[in-house]
Amino acid sequence: MELDNKSSKGKIIVSGIIPFAFLILLMAYIFGPGSDLLDFGIPLPEITMEKVDFVDSEIRVTVRNTGPIPVEVVMADINDRIQPAAIEPDRFLERYETALVIIPFEWNEAEPYIIGLTIEDGTRFEKEIEAAAPALEPSLELVGFFAMIGTYVGIIPVMIGLLWLPFIRKISKNKYHFFLALTAGLLLFLGIDSIEEALDVSEENLAGSFNGALLVATVVVLSFLGLHYSGEKLIRRAASSRIAKPTAIALMISIGIGLHNFGEGLAIGAAVGLGSIAFSTFLIVGFALHNTTEGIAIAAPMSRGKALIGKALIVKLAGLGLIAGAPAIFGAWVGGFVYSPFTSVIFLAVGAGAIFQVIITILRWIREEGDKNLSSAAVVSGFAAGMLIMYLTSILV
Amino acid sequence: MKKSRSRIMIVSISVIIAMSALYFTFTEDIIAQQEDNVFVTHSGGVIKTTGEIIDPVYSTLLDPEYTESTVEFDAMEYLREFNYGHVSQLPDGTTLREFTIIAEDDKIMEVSPGVFFNVWTFNGTVPGPTIRATEGDLVRINFINNGSKSHTMHFHGIHPAEMDGVFEIVGPGGKFTYEFEAGPVGIHPYHCHVMPLEEHIVRGLYGVYIVDPKEGRPAADEMVMVLNGFDTDFDTENNFYAANSIPFYYQNNPIQINTNELIRIYVLNMVEFDPINNLHLHGNLYNYYPTGTSLVPTFYTDMITLSQTERGIIEFEYKYPGKYLFHAHKVEFSEKGWIGIFQVNDNLDQKPQTEIEYGT
Repeated sequence: MELDNKSSKGKIIVSGIIPFAFLILLMAYIFGPGSDLLDFGIPLPEITMEKVDFVDSEIRVTVRNTGPIPVEVVMADINDRIQPAAIEPDRFLERYETALVIIPFEWNEAEPYIIGLTIEDGTRFEKEIEAAAPALEPSLELVGFFAMIGTYVGIIPVMIGLLWLPFIRKISKNKYHFFLALTAGLLLFLGIDSIEEALDVSEENLAGSFNGALLVATVVVLSFLGLHYSGEKLIRRAASSRIAKPTAIALMISIGIGLHNFGEGLAIGAAVGLGSIAFSTFLIVGFALHNTTEGIAIAAPMSRGKALIGKALIVKLAGLGLIAGAPAIFGAWVGGFVYSPFTSVIFLAVGAGAIFQVIITILRWIREEGDKNLSSAAVVSGFAAGMLIMYLTSILV
Repeated sequence: MKKSRSRIMIVSISVIIAMSALYFTFTEDIIAQQEDNVFVTHSGGVIKTTGEIIDPVYSTLLDPEYTESTVEFDAMEYLREFNYGHVSQLPDGTTLREFTIIAEDDKIMEVSPGVFFNVWTFNGTVPGPTIRATEGDLVRINFINNGSKSHTMHFHGIHPAEMDGVFEIVGPGGKFTYEFEAGPVGIHPYHCHVMPLEEHIVRGLYGVYIVDPKEGRPAADEMVMVLNGFDTDFDTENNFYAANSIPFYYQNNPIQINTNELIRIYVLNMVEFDPINNLHLHGNLYNYYPTGTSLVPTFYTDMITLSQTERGIIEFEYKYPGKYLFHAHKVEFSEKGWIGIFQVNDNLDQKPQTEIEYGT
């Protein structure tokens, strides 16, 4: 019997491996003797200029080989006039490899430039810059500046929003559901906003070979699933430990919002980095108003369950507020100093996935809390109000 | 358990803070540790880099292992290379000049350092060989088409209709013999005349055909300059411009001439897509002979404007030694390669004999 069992296990393993073996054979054939048969069509080279920095008498271009074949970058031009340039580490770019092209050039602030790069077959690629602005050099001063902006945008508004906790605590169940649904509405808006931003960034700065939209979709789903799994665990554990379930939910909301705020920090840092200072002042005011609502989102679930009071509550709230708000600081640093469109897209998409997961958690919470009803007037109107509030405050951004 | 966790937290946070402090304090040192090479670029600027230079023309100051960028086509050789053909006498005393010209369309030419472009060629180069004869000679061109497309040779000048290279299309592997009396005196283009014509020209099927007057011209340091360009990305705009194909070539390799010596340049404009081209000389003016058909100059100027296949002869002498630019004063073209330098050397022992011959 046991022998039988073993051999049948072996059979299962073998039957699982056989398709793989054939797949490997197929690959070997395609790359080996069969490659002639499949060798049709001409692969076209492609490079993408992902980042253009204007520094003292220099324009620095980060270029990536986004085509199917290796390329050699052989010439740079500005406004279609050939310019001498340096390329580091060297001019040979394998697939997806990047290089830095340094073009000495006395550029003028706020003027538009078209940067061109020519590869070895004479194909020229270009990128248009609407207005040249000096790039940021990392300095302690700027680090502090971004930390301050991050605090204004992330931490303080979220904390202010949390001050609604006593109010939400005292209201009736129905009104409470309204606020929970409002939170879900706010978050849905943020999630959509993040996805839109991620798609925009990938459209403008990423090469087609990254499949921008699919990259965003994949990362959103992965982030959703990851947080869904760990969130479920957290809540299940919460049921059996001293952490109250509402706190667990609030914590998850904080994490989701934190990821989102990282994306906002990126946007602000990048806006400052791109020199649109006026624009970023506007961004800061807008985000601050916008993010106050995120405080409500965290406060809403916290207002039920075991009644914490005094110091313990304040510490807990402050912690949650930091989790939600502080990532804006990191985002501003990353966006201002080491901005890369690829990582921005990833972070924005992760943020969106996290937020969708939180929405699911909140809706479940409402269902469990309430009468297994998600279509009560309170919930529906709350949801709608959440979306509307966000839309209106977003106009400010 | 709880304690150790928070300890780990504190340790990792302090490590992060220490690392970032180090980064911001020592960034410059870290970068400075890598070795820099120093380059002088085509515009005279100096670039320091740990990487490479990408520029049509550059040289290096510090690293002797770095050589200046070069291409296969020798524009300096082309500049003063005149082909008089295989010469024989006909019974009636006429000089027969025979040339063999082979058309191909599969050559890959380095049109600027690092840029490899499929050109179509007469005898393997762009421009094709400079064909030179004296007025009244019989010119015989044994034309062989080794290309994969149809090609012909169409000479500007005076000849019978069937020698015009327009209706007698020569297919791949085909041959044709063009035969005509050299004339009129001057500089003329020859080029392929198969449709689509623009493509057959801009890909490189052109060259210079010079007809000398029977009495000859005054002795001079003679050169040919074909003003041309390449559209390497097929957007009907030239990516490169040059005198004799290679951008910035004569800027990097100045043309050596002497003071008080007559310089004669046969100039032909073959630039397509752009309606005009022009030629400006620094520190001097030149006599200009449009199409070279007259022995009396028409203008004394430092600027001529040339439309497609417009050409002429310019003649000048430098009084003072030194470096003098010549370039298109349509500056876009000069910034894309159509620019060069005359290095005028002091001609001490040679008294200006050409000046006597040339005096007007």
